[in-house]
Amino acid sequence: MSEQRGETIIQLSGVSKRYGFGDSEYFALRDFDLTVKRGEFIMVMGPSGCGKTTLLNIIGLLDKATMGEYVLGGKSVERISSRKQAKFRARQIGFIFQSFNLIPTLPVIENVSLPLVYAGFGKLRRLRMASNILDHFHLQEREYYMPWQLSGGQQQRVAIARSLVANPSIILADEPTGNLDSRSSHIVMEELRDIHLMGNTIIMVTHNPALTTYATRVINMLDGEIDTDIKTVADWDLPKPGDPEKISVRILPKKREAKEAAEEVKAPEKEKAIVEVAKEDEKKVVVKKVAKSAPKKAVEKKSASVKAKSKGKKVGVK
Amino acid sequence: MSFLLRTHIKLATSSLRLNRGRTFLTALGISIGVASIVLILSLAGGINRLISTQIERVGSDLIVVRPSTAKDMVGSIVDELTASNQYLKSNLSLSDVGAIQRLEGVAAAAPIAVMDGTVSTNNKSMNATLVATNPDLEKILSLPMKTGQFLNSQLKENTAVVGYWTAMQLYGSVEAVTKTFEYMGEKFMVVGVLEEINDPINFNNVDFDNAILANAGFMETLGALQIQQVNVRATTTGGVGTVVDEIGEKMSDSRGGGRNFAVLSGSQISHPAGSLFTIVSGMLTLVASISLVVGGVGVMNIMLVSVSERTREIGIRKAVGASSGNILLTFLFESLILSILGGVMGFAVGYACAFLVSLLTPFAPFVSWEILGITGGTSLVVGVLFGIYPAVKAASKNPIQSLKYYR
Repeated sequence: MSEQRGETIIQLSGVSKRYGFGDSEYFALRDFDLTVKRGEFIMVMGPSGCGKTTLLNIIGLLDKATMGEYVLGGKSVERISSRKQAKFRARQIGFIFQSFNLIPTLPVIENVSLPLVYAGFGKLRRLRMASNILDHFHLQEREYYMPWQLSGGQQQRVAIARSLVANPSIILADEPTGNLDSRSSHIVMEELRDIHLMGNTIIMVTHNPALTTYATRVINMLDGEIDTDIKTVADWDLPKPGDPEKISVRILPKKREAKEAAEEVKAPEKEKAIVEVAKEDEKKVVVKKVAKSAPKKAVEKKSASVKAKSKGKKVGVK
Repeated sequence: MSFLLRTHIKLATSSLRLNRGRTFLTALGISIGVASIVLILSLAGGINRLISTQIERVGSDLIVVRPSTAKDMVGSIVDELTASNQYLKSNLSLSDVGAIQRLEGVAAAAPIAVMDGTVSTNNKSMNATLVATNPDLEKILSLPMKTGQFLNSQLKENTAVVGYWTAMQLYGSVEAVTKTFEYMGEKFMVVGVLEEINDPINFNNVDFDNAILANAGFMETLGALQIQQVNVRATTTGGVGTVVDEIGEKMSDSRGGGRNFAVLSGSQISHPAGSLFTIVSGMLTLVASISLVVGGVGVMNIMLVSVSERTREIGIRKAVGASSGNILLTFLFESLILSILGGVMGFAVGYACAFLVSLLTPFAPFVSWEILGITGGTSLVVGVLFGIYPAVKAASKNPIQSLKYYR
């Protein structure tokens, strides 16, 4: 990978966003300057209505600035056609939302592969890539669950998987832990840290000051302007893009795997019901999945015991 | 791009599948419109084919002279509709018939002038259709006789041949020869009764089962004849073209160069009778297409519901990289699939109805690629026409607002 450490990828200069006209005029962003280097993990904090989300929307090409220049990857955004911008969103930008924003009618795997559809990947490749990324998040067994069959933390992890699936260089997270309890938000933050350590740039909006420990840079906003801007990691120490698989395997704690396994064993009945519901939507696949995801060990144990019994009988007959 | 297209189609079908009941009902709206169009077109096609087979049966040496005015299409349509089959201002006369008969290469020429009137016998009077013609008609149409003989120049002028059902109604039996009836104060004697033909739709616009044939020469003394057409048979099939030209010239000469008539041969003959049906069926199709529009509005309505239902989804899709064009295509394909589904359903239902109707009528429904093309085309057009607005609405949604949308 030829990306240089500390290369500037986002540059906002004099960006303003105005809502309303005349007396009701109101600036969500006012003459905003920001330079983001590759590999930064920026936390944006500030009171409600100070323009944090507007900032993310502008960076994520969902919104247009009223004034000012936005240079993304060395190119002024104004000169990029809306179609190219959409393509850019699909390939280079990953969005994570507070309310997860999964499509309720699509199973997890198709939700995850959504950006790949618009990035132009074929179906088989899409599903394989989505399956891989879900594997990283320990959600592979739930590929064909519907979003509403997952817990909030799981949904957010699916959303993170979706934001990462196209291997984007920028991840924009708008209060990703806002709807989660502290345990789930801890898991989500660890995922984000992993992603960051893989060399991704993350800009995250949060209200929780405790989370700033994960960041390399903390920006406090007030009334559409930067109040304070603190870098905790020098530019040359920012993580470099490396082999993502290696890092994630190294970093993902084994403890959590064990915990989740325990959880799944706890609620086997619930899972059955869920699988039955899921059947209606994805009959064929779920049939496969049932075979796969049904507690294999238990089945094996059973069959083993049956074998043992039959052996014993045979012996008895003899 | 091509697989993206497939993705759009898949997306559309899956979202339609999620709302099966809604999809079916919406498609039903379209299918009713399409079915009625199919029904009308196939039956009209059946009628047209019936007439053209009759002409084939009569023979390819048939020539028909009809009055026509140098009018535009619309004018002649209005004429045909208002004047029905009786050309009230016919510009053909018996002297024209005589002139045609005298031409070389003409074997027979018979006028047909239809009039309605009250016919009475000693103890009965009824409304009947009288056809003023001449003995040549038998040579041209080969009308089979049940009893008696056809009109003949050797017989008296006030003789008549009665159609099968008119005879039954007037005299209670087909043994009507030598019986008499009165029309406009004149006595007529029946010299023959026609065999039942059961051919109510034909190029003469005369139902011979329910008609009385009388001599044109005599009928003219009772009032001016409105000759709706002159049937001519050429001596040879090969000479039809020359005879057509000669008739044209001769009649044109007698009118001082004017051409207020038409000399038709072959498939042209079926046209006026056929065109009447075409016009009627066209009007019916127009009415049916109103139901298609209603169905289309249904599609538009349901698509708008779908768009607003999926506002958040649109926002999400845009956030993860869908362009406005992508969203537009997805929704457009959805409405297209809806309307094509309706078209297919309508096509099947329409033909089923046409076959049911054909059990009660003498003509079989007409199956053709044309009708398939028309229905396919209209349902496509309806799908695009009524799908474009919701699709544009979906595509132009602001992603940020859509993401904040709550149901």
